[in-house]
Amino acid sequence: MALVSLDGVGKTYRGRGGAWEAVRDFTLDLAEGEFFCLLGTSGCGKTTVLNMVAGFEPPTAGRILLDGREVKGPGADRGVVFQGHDSLYDWLSALDNVAFGPRLRGMGRRARRAHAQRFLELVGLAGQGGKHPAELSGGMKQRIQIARALANDPRILLMDEPFGALDALTRATLQGELSRIWAGTGKTVLFITHDIEEACALATRIGVMTRGPGGTLKAVLPVDLPFPRERTSDAFMDVFRRVHALIHEEIVRA
Amino acid sequence: MNGRAATVAGYLAGFALLFALWHLAATLLVRSALFPPPLPVLERAAALIADGILQEQVGASLRRILQGFLIGSAAGIPIGLAIGSFRPVRALLEPWTEFFRFIPAVAMITVAVIWFGIGEESKVFLIAYTTVFVVVIATAAGVGAVGRDKIRAAQCLGATRLQVFRLVALPATVPYILTGMRLAMANSFVTIVAAELVASNDGLGKMLWDARLFMQIEDIFVALVALGLLGFATDRLFRLAIRAFAGRFNPTM
Repeated sequence: MALVSLDGVGKTYRGRGGAWEAVRDFTLDLAEGEFFCLLGTSGCGKTTVLNMVAGFEPPTAGRILLDGREVKGPGADRGVVFQGHDSLYDWLSALDNVAFGPRLRGMGRRARRAHAQRFLELVGLAGQGGKHPAELSGGMKQRIQIARALANDPRILLMDEPFGALDALTRATLQGELSRIWAGTGKTVLFITHDIEEACALATRIGVMTRGPGGTLKAVLPVDLPFPRERTSDAFMDVFRRVHALIHEEIVRA
Repeated sequence: MNGRAATVAGYLAGFALLFALWHLAATLLVRSALFPPPLPVLERAAALIADGILQEQVGASLRRILQGFLIGSAAGIPIGLAIGSFRPVRALLEPWTEFFRFIPAVAMITVAVIWFGIGEESKVFLIAYTTVFVVVIATAAGVGAVGRDKIRAAQCLGATRLQVFRLVALPATVPYILTGMRLAMANSFVTIVAAELVASNDGLGKMLWDARLFMQIEDIFVALVALGLLGFATDRLFRLAIRAFAGRFNPTM
């Protein structure tokens, strides 16, 4: 059985300016342990798909199941890493940010800090736990977000263009780290991006969306390359070209 | 700390410059008995301090400010939190804040005196009145400004509504509350003088009023300088407190 399944999901926003269809008839099953990259041009509705899986917004058509139960709102079984780092708690240290989930469940201070420390180590920030978010770089803040989500042991990690605002070198480093963490923890990941190379570097499957409005799933490509991915290899380039062709059709289809 | 020493030196130089300009203006430009230079004013202040009179007036004003300020803040913070958190409460109470904030405390002096007499209660009431609306508005704005992703992050870590309020909305609002209180403190200084001018037996406002009646021009300037210095010192103390509390995570405070 699929871990997450989206069944004919659609989202139409109704406002004073009339109705606007963001996502149309989106159907997809995510298997346990896979790293699924949802790729699309800006405005195609990919973030809306993530927000619906996270439970932040209800779908206006179809339904979303997690472990066979319908998603009715946000919950601890789906950890989210946000695009911006505004989701971190400025008044808490990095360590206490990571310990926030266990704190909500009533874990004692010492136990949750020891727990959080392990996840800070996992994201390579073992010595930075005492710092506050304002004292950390953009890349470090995204690492804290990843640690915070993982420390809560969700069934699936939902990542909304988490590296979009970072410089190219930091982004490449974090992609490598994320691959390593994913391989080590076996977490299921739904990763939203508009960066073809990022998708090719991380994913076990890539889903390409049609352009918006009313974006839907256009094609799903399995990526059978071994990790760590060799970005200059012919096999990698071949995958890149195929994904690029699919995306390019959407850009041209204006 | 080098930066702090530079700041203190800057303050001292700034005050020295102010007094120097005052001296020049009084001795060269105006040369009137109605505008005394700083030196006689400081002499008069020293005499008033030696007699214990200045401390008494300052103490009376400060005590009223502190009492009214604490009452106003204690009432304003929960009201602001409620307005910011619950839409029906906002709809119900926003007309109040929008109505009363255009009736300045100074205009309420007459009512306060009729209700509470010229004793402590009327002054404390006026300070509380001037404090509460500033704190309510700042607090409600703070709750409204909590980032959407901060709340969503808590929700998908499993937070209940109460936990979102207590562990996210409340701490995120603290800098706004403190800023509102700082503004309210400045308003309190304006209000206390007006209140004591009109109806009081002591305090800096009363001192100003008496000095005018008896044409004790130096006394007027002593009271003015005392007000300025008190306000300055209180504001600095408030800023230090805010820094100590929130500076680490909010470098702009």
